[in-house]
Amino acid sequence: MSTSDPSKLISKADKLTKLSLTRWSADWKSATVLYEQAANGFRVARNYEKAKLAFEKASQGQEMLSSPWDAAKHMESAAALAKELRNWAEVIDFYRKASELYMQCDRPQPASDALAKGARALEDALPDDAIQLYTDACVILEDDGKEQMAFDLYRAATSVYVKLEKYTDAAAFLLRLGLAADKCNARNSQCKAYLSAIIVYLYAHDLKQAEKCYNDCSQIDAFLGSDQNRCASKLLSAYTEGDVEEIKRVAQSSAISNLDNVIIKLARKLPTGDVSAFKTDAANEEEPLDENDLT
Amino acid sequence: MTVIDLITRVDAICKKYEKYDIDKHKEANVTGDDAFARLYGVVESEIDAALQKSEAAATEKSRATAVAMNAEIRRTKARLLEELPKLQRLALKKVKGLSREELEARNDLVYSLKDRIEAIPDGSTAAAKQSGGVSGGWAASSSYTGIKIDSSSEEAFESEYFQQTEESDRFRQEYEMRRMKQDQGLEVIAEGLDTLKNMAHDMNEEIDRQMPLMDEIDEKVDRAASDLKNTNVRLKDTVNQLRSSRNFCIDIILLCIILGIAAYLYNVLK
Repeated sequence: MSTSDPSKLISKADKLTKLSLTRWSADWKSATVLYEQAANGFRVARNYEKAKLAFEKASQGQEMLSSPWDAAKHMESAAALAKELRNWAEVIDFYRKASELYMQCDRPQPASDALAKGARALEDALPDDAIQLYTDACVILEDDGKEQMAFDLYRAATSVYVKLEKYTDAAAFLLRLGLAADKCNARNSQCKAYLSAIIVYLYAHDLKQAEKCYNDCSQIDAFLGSDQNRCASKLLSAYTEGDVEEIKRVAQSSAISNLDNVIIKLARKLPTGDVSAFKTDAANEEEPLDENDLT
Repeated sequence: MTVIDLITRVDAICKKYEKYDIDKHKEANVTGDDAFARLYGVVESEIDAALQKSEAAATEKSRATAVAMNAEIRRTKARLLEELPKLQRLALKKVKGLSREELEARNDLVYSLKDRIEAIPDGSTAAAKQSGGVSGGWAASSSYTGIKIDSSSEEAFESEYFQQTEESDRFRQEYEMRRMKQDQGLEVIAEGLDTLKNMAHDMNEEIDRQMPLMDEIDEKVDRAASDLKNTNVRLKDTVNQLRSSRNFCIDIILLCIILGIAAYLYNVLK
């Protein structure tokens, strides 16, 4: 059977499912089998368009047979083929459908995996949609209580944000990563996430935000006693003093070299802009205090 | 010519050119009224004396005499520095017969005097090379104690307490080089340890992450195994039942009976 022409198989299967006068109920079981065979045949023949169609129909058949697991699997294959064809809207559609089917099977992890795969495929073409998919995947995992798996997704989403140069969003995501790490007691990842957030703020040349972030994070005991905390305080003091050499030296230190690749690249490019502006800011802030003391 | 003749001649010449004698004029100028000029003259002469003494100390062979002379010079310097404020006050006082420019110039003179006093060498900043082995040994032993205490006493090496010899210099340089090398090595080790710590933390987190997964796998595999065992037992029972000899014999007997009936019918119909 597998050697016969896939298109013939498809047409046969179609005939089985189409309702007409002679056929009052579609025979999904045999039709699904035929669809699967046809899809495989097309894939081998590298006819991606037809293969994708066949997988779609096969998935539909499995749904009708109330086996959402197989349906989801077929949807994923269809989505992979859509990625080859660079049909991004369909990619999003298929991966979302697959994830829903997985949730129907009560398996949140494959669901988030499917969304993650979709997001990865879309990173270059449609970064905003990719971020949406990543966020949904993280939400699914967090609802299930499996935050540990979400770390990678958070990191991937952050790198997409950085590529888009949306630094505040990136930092916000890193703080969410820190929160997730806190829930599962992953101290090292948590401290690394906070240090990365501070670096992202500094790269966006927003010293106030960075300092606020640092103050917030210092409330957390795990961060307070860590290497990353010392590195962050050194970096911030170098910034307030406007010492470019010191900033570069801290950026070369080992605490920063253990972070994500994207963050290391940002750190090496520090300082952006004029650091002496921060120095004069700090000096100006002290003057009003003096006047108050004299009076 | 006799000596007396020479002396008379020298006196006559001096008297003739007296007006060109600056020192005498200076001394003549110092009248009782001008206290500043008097004190200034005194200070200047003492400075000259101190300079002469320091030159003598520099060329002195005996260490003890040199040290004594240096101490004397230092005492003189301290005394002169104490008198300077008095001189300054006098400089500001107005004296009759003195122009305003000279008054201002006196202030500058006082300052320059201070510099001159401090510039008198008293053997503290000089790196005089002594060939005495005793002093060399003494300096070297002092550098030993320096190593034992801690690095902050290095400044003491530069002060007036220790004279340097070639040996102690070399020794100190070697010590510095070795310490630098040790520091470098320790830095490399520290970086390696940092990397190791980070890797260990990450491995810890990864294993923590995989633990619940392993638990799930364990559970599922246990369930599957028990299911399989159940199925196997049931299958064995069924097959046994099917293959039991009693059923088998009954099947054969019934088959023979049917064949016999068929043969009989065939015979009858033929």
